Amino acid sequence: MIEFDREEKRMVLKLVFYGPALSGKTTNLLRLHDLLAREGRGELMVLDTRDDRTIFFDLLPFFLVTPGGLKIKLKVYTVPGQVKHDATRKAVLQRADGVAFIADSRLSETANNYSSFENLEKNLAFVGIDIETVPLVIQFNKRDLSEIVPETDIERLWRPTGIPVFMASALQGWGVVETFGRLVELTYDAVDRKWGLREGYGLEREEFVRRLTLREQVR
Amino acid sequence: MNEDREGAGGIEYVVGAEKRLCEILGDEEIMPILRSALRAGVSRIEVRDSKGRELWACGDPTGGGGRAREVAPLCLEGEPAGSIMVEIPSSGRLRLRDFTGLLSEVMNTMITSNLKRMLTAEIHTTVVDQTHEELIETNRRLRASESRYRELAESLDRKVQERTEELKRIHTRLIQQEKAASIGLLAAGVAHEINTPLGFISSNLNTLKRYMSRFTEMLDFYRRIVGEAGDGVAEEAAKRWSDLKLDFVVRDVGELISQSLDGAERVKRIVADLKGFSHVDDSKEDVVDLNTEIERTFSVLAHEIPEDAEIERDYGSLPGFLCDPALVCQVFLNIILNSLQAKKEGLRLHVSTRFAGGDITVAFTDNGPGIPDDIRGRIFEPFFTTKDVGEGTGLGLTVTRDIVTAYGGDIEVESRPGAGTTFLVRLPAERGRDVEVR
Repeated sequence: MIEFDREEKRMVLKLVFYGPALSGKTTNLLRLHDLLAREGRGELMVLDTRDDRTIFFDLLPFFLVTPGGLKIKLKVYTVPGQVKHDATRKAVLQRADGVAFIADSRLSETANNYSSFENLEKNLAFVGIDIETVPLVIQFNKRDLSEIVPETDIERLWRPTGIPVFMASALQGWGVVETFGRLVELTYDAVDRKWGLREGYGLEREEFVRRLTLREQVR
Repeated sequence: MNEDREGAGGIEYVVGAEKRLCEILGDEEIMPILRSALRAGVSRIEVRDSKGRELWACGDPTGGGGRAREVAPLCLEGEPAGSIMVEIPSSGRLRLRDFTGLLSEVMNTMITSNLKRMLTAEIHTTVVDQTHEELIETNRRLRASESRYRELAESLDRKVQERTEELKRIHTRLIQQEKAASIGLLAAGVAHEINTPLGFISSNLNTLKRYMSRFTEMLDFYRRIVGEAGDGVAEEAAKRWSDLKLDFVVRDVGELISQSLDGAERVKRIVADLKGFSHVDDSKEDVVDLNTEIERTFSVLAHEIPEDAEIERDYGSLPGFLCDPALVCQVFLNIILNSLQAKKEGLRLHVSTRFAGGDITVAFTDNGPGIPDDIRGRIFEPFFTTKDVGEGTGLGLTVTRDIVTAYGGDIEVESRPGAGTTFLVRLPAERGRDVEVR
């Protein structure tokens, strides 16, 4: 958690989209920006990029006020996936409240997915976050492509870990909100356990998720 | 306010930390805009934070009535973070709403780009700092491992040296044993060769002695007969007797034979000692009296000991010592030889043996020139010698020390230049022989 000020009734949460280079983390944020209601969220902020590759991070902020008057700001970040930007990944991962791991479904990327996940484990430990308890979801992106890892294989591999896995095509815009929704749900649970969102501020889980995943009405 | 614990990496700056408007905008950026707004005909313009507090302001605040007012929000990361308030005279020509909209657009754009710049700079600094820390840490680890390897290399060097020393000693001992063995073999051969002729020499000399007494007896008889004869025969015989000095000869013959027999006896004893010393007959361990072994060594060296040398013996009563006698004799031999070679004339060598506290000590003290300080520490080193090439191998004292050490004892040397040298050999009477001597 970035900040929790009881007097000011203000809470700032951080979610991080992690994953190997070019797995579609920024695209996920772009889609969320497009698909979710304008009300209650800020603009997508893309820090300097080079050749369309994230070198710092992207940021999409959300805002909501609980019935109890607590102002919650949820900042969703991406990290640069390239191996060389590890120090930036550590900095962004610092104090994260939840992590979405965006994997690349292409068969050719299997090894990169693994090493990036290992990197996530290592960096979570580095910034003092327990991977066993941090809200974590996995998204297998690029399901629209051919030559991808079969869903049954993914199921078999990841089900035993208990980590929720989602299939998505960020490019086509499906699976993205679902991934985000589940992460928000898990994050609510973790924050509620620790800070009592329901008891203290009258915020129900369903309401929290609903507000953050409210779709923009197509006019 | 944040109750989450700091990360293990100790990054102080947190990506996403909240910022206030006044941290993002500066006087030097805002004031020119406000001033140019005034010039454009605005009477009062204010920038406020989210709580409505004035951050920057320009123009006449006491306008009161007769003015039109417009407020527009300023956003930070899409969240209202403050506002801009613009007042114009009602009579003015400015289109208030459009003008305010323009100003808020400008400021919001400025806020966003400033924020981006700050975030970029902050994360850049964080990454650089962290990379630097990691490099320092890597450097520290490399140094640690380097010094570990250096240590390993050094201890390896030391071990190699120790092992080399040990090999040198073993080699030396082998040479010495080889030498001792060949001397022993030679001695055994010589002893055998000498014993046989010595046997018949002694035996023949004894026979000769008996024969001589018969000759003498017969000679006495003839002399008495001839002494009574006339015609000058007696005188002539007496004269010849006297010319040939037969009185002396008769007396001397017995002595000559006795001396020869003595000599033969001595040769026999020397041969026996030589055999005993080289222990060619029994190279096994035995319980011996070290006093006897010292004496044996002296008799082997008899020919080396100058006539004017004084050997003082001060033997205490010693318990039996289990050892290979050949080896302990070698210890004594080397020490005695050292003294003999150190002082050719007027040598006085004092030998004392004692038994106390379970240890047998044997001390050899000479009145030689002593060992100079600078070489005293080296005398036990293999191949260290002060003698000319060919005169000494430099192995004597090395072998001596090795043998003593092998019997669980030690050897000390006390010496002052000009004041003689003492070699002190200490041997545990009940030794545990854990090192193989041969």
